Parts: sequence; structure tokens; C-alpha cells
Amino acid sequence: MPDMVPMSVAQPQERQFNPYSDNGGTILAVAGANFSVIAGDTRQSEGYSIQTRYAPKVFRLTDKAVLAVNGFAADGNMFVKKVKQRLEWYRHAHSKDMPLRAVARLIQSMLYARRFFPYYVYNILGGIEEDGSGAVYSFDPVGSYEREACRAAGAASSLVQPFLDNQIYFKNQTPAPGTSHPAHLALTDVLALVIDSFTSATERHIEVGDGLEMYVVLAKGSPLQGLELVQGVQEMSTTTDGERVFIVRRNLKRD
Amino acid sequence: MSIMEYNGGSVIAMVGKDCVAIASDLRLGNQALGISSNFQKIFPVTDRIYVGLPGLATDVTTLRERFRYRVNMYTIKEEREIEPETFAHLVSSTLYEHRFGPYFIEPVMAGLSKTPSGGLKPFIAATDLIGCLNFAKDFVVAGTASSKLYGVAEGLWEPGLEPEDLFETISQTILNAVDRDAYSGWGCIVHVITKDKVVSRTLKGRMD
Amino acid sequence: MDHSPMNWGRPRNDAVDLYGTYPIPQRPYNGSKGSFSAGVQHTQQPIVTGTSVLAIKYKDGIMMAADNLASYGSLARFKDVQRLQAVGDYTVIGASGDMSDFQYIQTVLDELMVDEFTAADGHSLGPAEIHEYLSQIMYARRSKMNPLWNSLLVGGFKDGKRFLAYVDLLGTTYSASTLATGYGSYIAQPLLRKAVEGYEDVLTEEEALKIIEDSMKVLYYRDARSLNKYQVAKITAAGTSISESRSAETIWSFAEDIRGYGAQTQ
Repeated sequence: MPDMVPMSVAQPQERQFNPYSDNGGTILAVAGANFSVIAGDTRQSEGYSIQTRYAPKVFRLTDKAVLAVNGFAADGNMFVKKVKQRLEWYRHAHSKDMPLRAVARLIQSMLYARRFFPYYVYNILGGIEEDGSGAVYSFDPVGSYEREACRAAGAASSLVQPFLDNQIYFKNQTPAPGTSHPAHLALTDVLALVIDSFTSATERHIEVGDGLEMYVVLAKGSPLQGLELVQGVQEMSTTTDGERVFIVRRNLKRD
Repeated sequence: MSIMEYNGGSVIAMVGKDCVAIASDLRLGNQALGISSNFQKIFPVTDRIYVGLPGLATDVTTLRERFRYRVNMYTIKEEREIEPETFAHLVSSTLYEHRFGPYFIEPVMAGLSKTPSGGLKPFIAATDLIGCLNFAKDFVVAGTASSKLYGVAEGLWEPGLEPEDLFETISQTILNAVDRDAYSGWGCIVHVITKDKVVSRTLKGRMD
Repeated sequence: MDHSPMNWGRPRNDAVDLYGTYPIPQRPYNGSKGSFSAGVQHTQQPIVTGTSVLAIKYKDGIMMAADNLASYGSLARFKDVQRLQAVGDYTVIGASGDMSDFQYIQTVLDELMVDEFTAADGHSLGPAEIHEYLSQIMYARRSKMNPLWNSLLVGGFKDGKRFLAYVDLLGTTYSASTLATGYGSYIAQPLLRKAVEGYEDVLTEEEALKIIEDSMKVLYYRDARSLNKYQVAKITAAGTSISESRSAETIWSFAEDIRGYGAQTQ
């Protein structure tokens, strides 16, 4: 058989170091009239292994801005570290916290600066705008961003987002004649939907579970809106006379 | 290019109180290009059994005919209507016959089965493309929007839904799921099967 | 769809399985194919490697273990290598992966500790600071596409608080009451979690040692790149201590009864 090719003439086995990994998890944020809820699960995984059951993905940046990061954990932590550093510099220069829309633009610039070696991270920024309205900004890994009322990102985003479309935006729902859908949901309703979203995602996605951290940002002078009745709520803000940040923790299934 | 996403389409089935529902979208596509907004993927098997066939469109047609043939043969030989459980195993074995060159379809079945006491019990099942059966107690999903269907259904479904509530639940589930899927949508059809009738409704959906 | 930024805008490659989940999804190779691409040599793979490191929290502090083997592929090349190293008075680090990279990390940390000591400012680096420093080095090197090919555990005890955390070649970090690297994360971690989670504050030193010894034994039975000669470190309020090398009692008589395992020829 003259045409036989010897097996040893295989392609050169060149391997390249892959600087990225996927650490699973899901994040989610919802904006209300005068509040914002930013949530994430606390599981960190790689492949089928759970690395830890408690690695926060949601971070308080200022009293009016909370950032959730999801994707490659090492990039996420580094990115949050650098955003916090830039916000500290801003505080030193201007003696005040950076406004939310400026934080959003800062994040886009920082992400786009790494256009050709991106932070492999989906960001969701939540908080209170200068006009006192609740706001959510969502970003892709290279900095495209948009202000929205709600957004899910991460491993179970495809499970959660259509549920949110239905329950927050009332998509495919027709109000009864003579009535209309509420423009904004109440804080307690939003918290219940967030918990439901994560229990559903935990049930059907292996990378979601262990714990849930929900940050609530309230506008300046806003009443607690039922937050005082939520069990285990903790205040994270530095003052009580400006915007206020709270955290609510819940357990999720660990399997 | 995944062959399972070549034509697009999704199906879901849910259990209610003494009833079952099965729903699908109506899109037929050629990858991203929409071809038809009236493509049937759910077919009646008996008066009380429906099967949904999301996947490769050419195999939808083939399998529908194959199942029709095999169910007719069963009816003639046994001189009785096939039960949903039996039909599920018929589907499973038909697909597994082609274990190493499968039909690219993930069937979803819904029906009411006879109990020994003469009553009717809701039954749903789904299989993968080589016939691995999944008998779920709540809901089953398949197709290009399956992950979205799982998410919404897990959030909306609850046990013991009456036929009208089950219709609302399955309709909201499929409409909102396919609106987030590029390969599914262009309208939906829902069948609610109860002991004395089957109610079929076509839903208007987003056409983008 | 392939969402990896490394592949954005590139033509689809059906030859690779993007949805493979173990251990990291396989991706198409997009690197340079030019003749001079080998001009700058970066670490492309580990050469002389150490296997698992284990660590747990217990009542008095942290206990950590690693065997004394440095392998050259499947060859058990160096059988008296220390993979646990004290850094300052409060911290022990344990390394798996490339041993030459680990030795480099040791020299970097030694320099750091000398610099900090020379400052004589009354401050001393604790485990949290050393872990942060290490993770910044590891992340910076991965960002230069020239990683230090290790998974490291950092254990410590300072100011009455236990510290236990992980960092690897990607700069990924995390903390938990039980940690394991390499095969240990598949084989020993489930055993450690079952024995430790919820009991971190009640486990005595003896109980902790028993858990570590049992896990090291299981690893020796199942990890072909391991050695039944290992050291155990403990970090408590009293400081750090790394034991002499020891070995676990093992039984191999069962092998005689298993075809293909023992000495039978038929």
C-alpha cells in the first residue's frame, strides 16, 4: 500500500495557556421607583467542582452604588478592586461620592480599555441616580452598557431573564379593562421575585446555589418600605441621612 | 452549526389537576431565517394523547408518520386504544432503534391514562433524541428555548392547577420563553386535555 | 455560540467541542503560527510537579499537609522535597504544580519578608497580606500570558483569627474551611468537607490530624503521582510548625486477590 500515511505524521501538538476560566453563578438586579435591588448567589465553581460555597459576587461601592460581577472570578475581583480605587480617587478629588451615571460611564471606559484582552466578566450596576430614582445599568465584557429596570446575567441568565420579563415588565400580560400595570413594583414584591428567581435557578442549574446575597439601596429620605420587617436585614451604609444600603442573606440548596 | 437548532422550535407539557396541557411555538426556520409561522409540531395520537416533536423539521414529518403507523398497528393487534405510558415506551424504542444515527427530535408527550379504578390520571413524559425517557411529575420541556422554558416554568408552575389556570400558566410560560429565543416564536398553540374534551387555542405572539 | 472573548470575531471552528465542561472547555488555538513565535519562551506546561495539598480549619488554627514527591511526568523524580513552607511567623504556604515556579515564589516571598523586616515599622505581614500579595503576583503573571504554574494554599493564624485561602495560576482565589488542590480536590475534598464543615470550632488537634492522615492515605491509594511520605504543618496562636516527614499505615494484601492488580501472572 504505497499511499499509506504513517500515523506518526500528526499535526504538531501546540498548546497555548488559556488565561480564562468560568466560575459559574448568577447575578440579577431590579430597579424600583426609589430603590434598587442587586443580588447574586455565593457559589464559586469550576467545571463540576464547587470551589467554595461563599464567595461574594455583589459589592457595595458607595452608599448609592452596588456592583455585581459574574464570569471569571479572578477578573471580577480585580475589576472590582480597580473600580473601588478609582472611586476613592474621585472622593479625594471632589469630596463626594461619584454619581451613579458617572460610575456607569467609568465602568464602560475601564472595560473598553481592555478591549483586546477583556475582563471576562458581566457587570450589573445598581443604585440610586442623582434624581433619587432607582437605576440598574448592565454591561457586556467589553463595556457596551444600557440603563434598564431589570437584568439577569451569568450562568442561569437564560432561565431567569424571561421570568423577569414576565413578572417585572409584565410582558405578555394584558391588564384588566380600565386598569393598567403598575409602573414600579413595591420593594417587598421585588425581594420575593428575586428569591423565587434564585430558588428556580438553583433547582435547574448546577452552578447556582449555596447562598443568596441581596443588596437593597434606598433613595435619600426614603421610608424603609417594609424592609424593617425582612428577617436578618443588615445595614451597610456609612450614614443614615443619605442613600442607604442594606443586605439580606438567604440560604439556597447546596446540591 | 447544531442540527438541533437548524429549524428551531420548542415544546412544553405541564400537569394540572385532572388535566394536562401541551404547547408549542409555530415557527419554522432555516437557521436565522424565518420560513413559516404556521408549522405544526404537536400531533394528536389518540383522543387523550398528544405528542410534540421539536427538532429537525424533516424528522418531524417522518416521525409523525412512523408513530401513526406504529400506533395503528398497536390498535389493530390489541383491539384497544394505546395508553400514554405504552406510547411513551413506543416512542422511546422507536428512537433507540436509531441509537447511532438518530432522528434529531426530542419528543414531548402529554395525555390522560386510565387508572385501575376507571378514573383518569394526568401523564407527561419527554425523551432525548435517542429515547431516554423522563417521566416528570410537574413539567417537561424541549427545543431551542428549553433553558428559558425551564426557568419560567420553575417560577410559575404550582401543583393542582385547574384547566383554566393551567392554560394561563403554560401560555405565559411558553410566550415569555420563546420571546427570549431567536429560534422559537412566531405564535403558539396550546392544547388542554381534560376528561371530556380537548381545548386547543392558538396564541398571538411577537412576530420579531 | 462561543462567548469566549478569545474567539470573538473569529470564524467558527466545528473541530472543537466548546461545550465540553471538564476540566475547562476546549477552545480553538488562535496563537501565533509564525516561525519566530518561539522566540520568547513562556511556561507552557509544568515540568517537575508536586501533587495535592490539603488544609483544614480546626479549633486552634489551620492544619495543612503535602507529600514529599516532585514528579517528572510519571517518573517519581525527587522524593525528599518540602512543599510546605513557613513565611514569617504566622503563615504557611503549600504548593502543588511546577516546583521550579514554587521555588521562585519562595525567593520572592523571602525577599518580601526581609524588606518588611528591615522597615522595622512595628508591622508584620500576616496570612491575609501574604495571600493578597501572592494572588496579585499570580494574576499579573497570567495577564502577561506567562503564568506561575501552581495551585497554592495559604494558611495562617494572626490576631486570634484563622486564615485559609487558595490561589492558582489564573489568579483565581477563594476561601473555605477545607481546601484541597489537584487530585485532592476530587478525592480528599469531599472527605474533608464531611468531617470538618460545621465542626471548625470544636475539632481538636488530634481529631484534625486524624482527618488529615486519613485523607492523605486515601490520596496515596488512589493518586498515582503521590508518595507515602508527607509532612503536616499546623499554624496556631503558638506560631507555625512543620512536622518531620511521616508515612501512613497502608495495607496491600487485597491486591493478591485482584486479577491484574497483584503479582499473579494468570
